Amino acid sequence: MSNARIRLPRFVPLGLAVVALLVAGCTPQAVTRQGAEIQSLYNIVFGVAAVIFVFVEALIVYAVLRYRRKPGDTALPVQTHGNNLLEVVWTVIPTAIVAVLFVLSWQTLNSVDSVSVQTDVRIRAVAQRFQWSFEYLAEDGQQVVFKQITPEMYVPVGQTVKLTLFSPDVIHAFYVPQFLFKRDVVPGKENVFDFTVDQPGVYRGQCAELCGVAHDAMQFTVHAVSRDEYQAWLKQQVEGAKATPAPSAAGSPAASAAPGTTPAPPAAGGPTIDVSAAQIAFEQTELSAPANTPFTLKFTNNDAGVPHNVLIHQGADAASATFFDGEIFSGVDTRLYPVPAMQPGTYAFTCKVHPNMVGTLTVK
Amino acid sequence: MATTAMTPAASAYRAGLYEWLTTTDHKKIGILYLVNSLIFFFVGGLLALAVRTELAMPGIQFFKEVVYNQLFTMHASFMLFLFVIPILAGFGNYAVPLMIGAPDMAFPRINALSFWMLPLAGILMATGFLTNGGAAAAGWTSYSPLAEKAYSGMGTDLWIVAVILIGTSSILGAINFLVTIFKMRAPGMTMFRMPIMVWTMLVTSVLVLLATPVLASALIMLFIDRNYGGHFFDPATGGNAILWQNVFWFYSHPAVYIMVLPAMGIVSEVLPVFSRKPLFGYKAFVFATAGIGALGFSVWAHHMFTTGSVYLPFFSLMTFLIAIPTGVKMFNWIATLFRGQLTFSTPLIFALGFVSMFLIGGINGAFSAVVPVDFAIHDTYWVVAHLHYVLFGGSVFGVFAGVYYWFPKMTGRMLNEGLGKVQFVLMFVGVNLTFFPMHQLGLVGMPRRIADYSSAAGWNDLNLLATVGSFIIGASMLPFLWNVFISLSSGKPAGDDPWEGNTLEWATSSPPPPYNFDRLPEIRSERPVFDLRHRPRPESADLQLAAEASAAPESAGPAGHH
Amino acid sequence: MTSSTTAMTTEHGAAAHARGGISNPILGMLLFITSEVMFFAGLFAAYFNVRAAGPIWPPLEFADKLHIFPLVGPATVLLILSSFTCQVGVWAIRRNDRRGLTRAIAITVILGATFLVMQAIDYTSLYAEGLRLDAGPFGSTYYTLTGFHGAHVLGGVIMLSVVLYRSLSGQFSAAHHDMVEATSMYWHFVDVVWIALFSILYIL
Repeated sequence: MSNARIRLPRFVPLGLAVVALLVAGCTPQAVTRQGAEIQSLYNIVFGVAAVIFVFVEALIVYAVLRYRRKPGDTALPVQTHGNNLLEVVWTVIPTAIVAVLFVLSWQTLNSVDSVSVQTDVRIRAVAQRFQWSFEYLAEDGQQVVFKQITPEMYVPVGQTVKLTLFSPDVIHAFYVPQFLFKRDVVPGKENVFDFTVDQPGVYRGQCAELCGVAHDAMQFTVHAVSRDEYQAWLKQQVEGAKATPAPSAAGSPAASAAPGTTPAPPAAGGPTIDVSAAQIAFEQTELSAPANTPFTLKFTNNDAGVPHNVLIHQGADAASATFFDGEIFSGVDTRLYPVPAMQPGTYAFTCKVHPNMVGTLTVK
Repeated sequence: MATTAMTPAASAYRAGLYEWLTTTDHKKIGILYLVNSLIFFFVGGLLALAVRTELAMPGIQFFKEVVYNQLFTMHASFMLFLFVIPILAGFGNYAVPLMIGAPDMAFPRINALSFWMLPLAGILMATGFLTNGGAAAAGWTSYSPLAEKAYSGMGTDLWIVAVILIGTSSILGAINFLVTIFKMRAPGMTMFRMPIMVWTMLVTSVLVLLATPVLASALIMLFIDRNYGGHFFDPATGGNAILWQNVFWFYSHPAVYIMVLPAMGIVSEVLPVFSRKPLFGYKAFVFATAGIGALGFSVWAHHMFTTGSVYLPFFSLMTFLIAIPTGVKMFNWIATLFRGQLTFSTPLIFALGFVSMFLIGGINGAFSAVVPVDFAIHDTYWVVAHLHYVLFGGSVFGVFAGVYYWFPKMTGRMLNEGLGKVQFVLMFVGVNLTFFPMHQLGLVGMPRRIADYSSAAGWNDLNLLATVGSFIIGASMLPFLWNVFISLSSGKPAGDDPWEGNTLEWATSSPPPPYNFDRLPEIRSERPVFDLRHRPRPESADLQLAAEASAAPESAGPAGHH
Repeated sequence: MTSSTTAMTTEHGAAAHARGGISNPILGMLLFITSEVMFFAGLFAAYFNVRAAGPIWPPLEFADKLHIFPLVGPATVLLILSSFTCQVGVWAIRRNDRRGLTRAIAITVILGATFLVMQAIDYTSLYAEGLRLDAGPFGSTYYTLTGFHGAHVLGGVIMLSVVLYRSLSGQFSAAHHDMVEATSMYWHFVDVVWIALFSILYIL
């Protein structure tokens, strides 16, 4: 054994490499046609990467172990400056590998990114701070047949869905891990892509472009059902929308998983004032509260899977500064907000997530 | 240990606070860069620990999203703009004039100005935390429209001004480096006899010169949008949201080479010294570095593959092509080790850490070059894994290799080897434990920049593991700081050339006199000090220099009078 | 034994003319100009991007607001003229003609300052007609491009004034006039940028 302490026993780097490869490799199982192609391509790239990684790391480990300076090494080793042939070899071979990967990549891209003329279902996904809604479009791709405000998109299995992406505010991204696919939602530009789901199921999706303070809450689900179930569902939604003034979202499962929230703080005491939100609006837009005493605002969020809160401003103008900012939470749920004592006056209250939701609080 | 230096005529150091505040000496300015950058490294590191602490478990425990978004934005901004880029400029500042046999940089006062803009900018950026709306929170990439006035506060304006200041500092530094390298090399040092560190600083400076002004233009346009009613990036009034990304990434992609090329230069200095062989393929290295610099300008839109606004095949191809010169470097480094005689001093260990982990970072980056795969992994934790392997596993390990390598030259004292190795082990384990699981997290769908995640997603264990790793990284800083603290006062005296180095900085005292050199050995290869030690020529002054050095290393008489 | 010492000369400090060819400060100025070219390149890229995205350019409400006469066209001529006078000054000092340098630079300063005044007046008239900085992307790009150009002109006028002052104090000679060369290079760069700007904004 040499004088220098060997960094690691020989097998440890190898063992780590194997473990690493096992851990690094696994994509989720793709559930769309396009996703399956991406998954195959990924596997090829991964295979090449793994071979290169093991080979080069092995060279490093070998050099480190084999060429340690030993006590007898006083004379210099051979002062090799280089080798042109080797330079050519390790330029040409990577170039060839790169060329192959590029060609495979381009072919898959053309297949995945193709937007077909013949689509069966047309949906517009609307991404806004901080939620998703889905508009089901008629044959012409323009007229909205039904607008789903809860973040659940129903699609039929085996049929081509053309998804148009629209944002009225900042850049978001439509991302479904099990599609192995995402596309940005850019304000001022409507991105479009096709997908065809192969397997029925419920797939979670999430915004994948930082869009502000509730970016992590901007989740949605894709429900892939059989063609018949899809037709029936759509028909039911359209008729439900015609029958009642505002279709209730209570029927659909609250599928989006809200991030874990801490329990609401205990009520401040004093009188309790009720307010609720539904259909991205406050159901009571005129509230009153007693002056100079803390009170509890009992806020019920009736929009399943949609985040809301109540934010009381310092004046009657909805653009004025914040006086009280309640916790944002997704429905269907209730929170008790402890509001500190307020001076008599008129104050605006809004929802921080949907600033178009406005109401007036009169304190006297 | 052979010494190959001349004893300087003047005393080595002017000291005192006033000297440090007003110095134009490139060596002191280099050290100032190092210290300032390390301070921001620690601040950025604490922000990272805050981020990891919040992410360790599902649920919001410590930082609500509004704060969390500031934490990761400022973590990245401090790390990239106030640590990585400046510390490498600092090493360049210290080493380049010495390595080319020059007495200082071309414009010493501008050099000082470049430095002092940095703490100012850092403080400016940090004051964002004290404003009403908090610090900048749109990510270090500051995409519009999120970075527009409607969605952000004054912290973003402070951030913009700070980055403009830092960019200006960089550009002035680049001008300084280029003039110094082109015009002030010692006689005999042709371009192809310059140390690779100098070459990497040259290419880096070209990148800074050409790319950073474009960032300045982008930031100014954003500032005008935010404060003067501009409509560059505002889609509602005819502006273009993607325009920001194009102008921003036109700088920020070359920027990542700015962040790694000098570290590669450091590794290329360390590996030959501790293998007792020359760098394998010096010329190939030079061309590969230049190739990376040039190609680096052609790939920026690979950060924008999912925007739907990019000509995908071109940028994919160019991104693949960059892998080739990078691979050439990797193989040349390994060939340097082959048939060498390796001494595992701390600089070498960190350099080996660089090589093995930059390999991982380069490979996982190649996945993103495959556009359809990028559709899956873009903006997920896969990218976080990639960028930290190249920046931490790469640049930071290169930085510490440089610290351990040149600390003796800068201070005249050796850092403790045992503590250095402890730091390495903790850092190496920590980096891998933190960032390797992120590959998997990205693949299964965890997006970037989220303060919280749902327990139902199944990401809990890997996140907890990554957090544990991050605290191990934090712990690794303790032996480092202790090492610096004790070595400054009681480290082993280094002498002129403790490592049997190859390049000119080892031909003068440690620390060097203000004017760097009394005399220089003859320069006839890229390893002038190696030549002086092993094959001095009778016709030149080399033999005399070598004789002087070995006969009376402690003599303090004036040199050059015979 | 004669020692082939290779100590660096420190007569002029680190910024000495260590090698043949152009001097350090002039190389530095050339590199600085390169970085400024890239800065304007970023602004131009934004302009072209915004212009290509807009269906009609210029937007209808500003279609005939940019007038070459009475101000911008003559100002352009003056600026081009000032490049000539600046170069005349450089040639003068190269033959050690100090008075010639002073005269030429004085005229250049006056021409440059006149350009700025004319531009400022033009801005006020454009504002009066409704073309303001916040007038959509057209206004943003117009004022940002011309505004930063104007800022560079102002910087150049200041540098030229310093040259003028130093020339009046007799600080320049045929052998030592780096600052004059560097400043004239900068001034030519400013002029070239304006020619490009003028052509793109007013003509194309």
